Amino acid sequence: MPDRVFTELQRDALQEIANLGMGQAATRLSGLLNAFIELSVPRVRVVAVSEAAEALREMTGIDGPVAAVRQGFRSEIKGEALVICRSGEIAELGSLVGGRAGDHDEDPYEDHDALTEEELLFDVANALTGACVSSMLDQLGRMPVFSQPGLLGEAIMLDEVFQPGLLAWDVALLVEVNFALEDQRFRAHLVMLMAEESIHVVSRAIDALLHSL
Amino acid sequence: MSLPIVIADDSLLARKVLTKALPEDWDVAISYASNGLEALAHYRAGRAAVMFLDLTMPDMTGFQVLEALQHEDLNTFVIVVSADIQPLARERVQALGAAAFVAKPVTQEALLPILKEYGLYA
Repeated sequence: MPDRVFTELQRDALQEIANLGMGQAATRLSGLLNAFIELSVPRVRVVAVSEAAEALREMTGIDGPVAAVRQGFRSEIKGEALVICRSGEIAELGSLVGGRAGDHDEDPYEDHDALTEEELLFDVANALTGACVSSMLDQLGRMPVFSQPGLLGEAIMLDEVFQPGLLAWDVALLVEVNFALEDQRFRAHLVMLMAEESIHVVSRAIDALLHSL
Repeated sequence: MSLPIVIADDSLLARKVLTKALPEDWDVAISYASNGLEALAHYRAGRAAVMFLDLTMPDMTGFQVLEALQHEDLNTFVIVVSADIQPLARERVQALGAAAFVAKPVTQEALLPILKEYGLYA
């Protein structure tokens, strides 16, 4: 079924809607990390869940283990947002957010630091998901309610992110936006997954938006 | 004679939104570009007294277009229209010679003062 779901016009619109959401999210992340975020063109694809991991590998270029946080959103359009980055890269952000300047005599493996990394991952995920998803749904005339974010894992493979049992649907709309920190290796990827029912609502909302122009 | 302007954005939706935000009675001849290379080509062909420029585009980004224009005579008013609203993005495009910066989604209310300031629309 995949890419027959949207017309070229609808895909274009959805990509631009994601672009605006990405801009909002980048501003939040930029403030959080005191760094300039380089943006690229968002990508939109409809895939079978069995193909989602492969599609995401292709879109992100990630083959190794990742850290991932998921957060559900509900409205007439519902789905899940995943924030994914390469395992270990989040640690590199520690020095940017401050508060760790006097830390270097401490053992980097002690619990305190592990906790800080997890918190940092949640902060990044929260900034990206909140800003991007809210902005996109707002443009589609909906207001999302978010569930508590949850850690999927700190070192899991992309296939594990998309375990079929975890996602109660067969077809998913993948919206991938990526945030690169200037002069740093760090990249965060935000992926939105929506089930078929919500995809149809998105499709109608886009038509309404296009019709209003 | 109509004022030649270019609207450069990879998204058709964004080009439509921008076109709709222009003053209805502004006498312009619009050329559209869906990437930076096309925008530059229009500029070189004399079709860009004003250029509305998106930043995140494939092939050639808006930043790269601004850099390229600096090596030419920069005989155009570039108005950057972007979703990238980081303060540093705004500073950078202005350092690269952009006349103004407008955040997406663009509205006529946001464009009017800029067009008037530069005497492009009375």
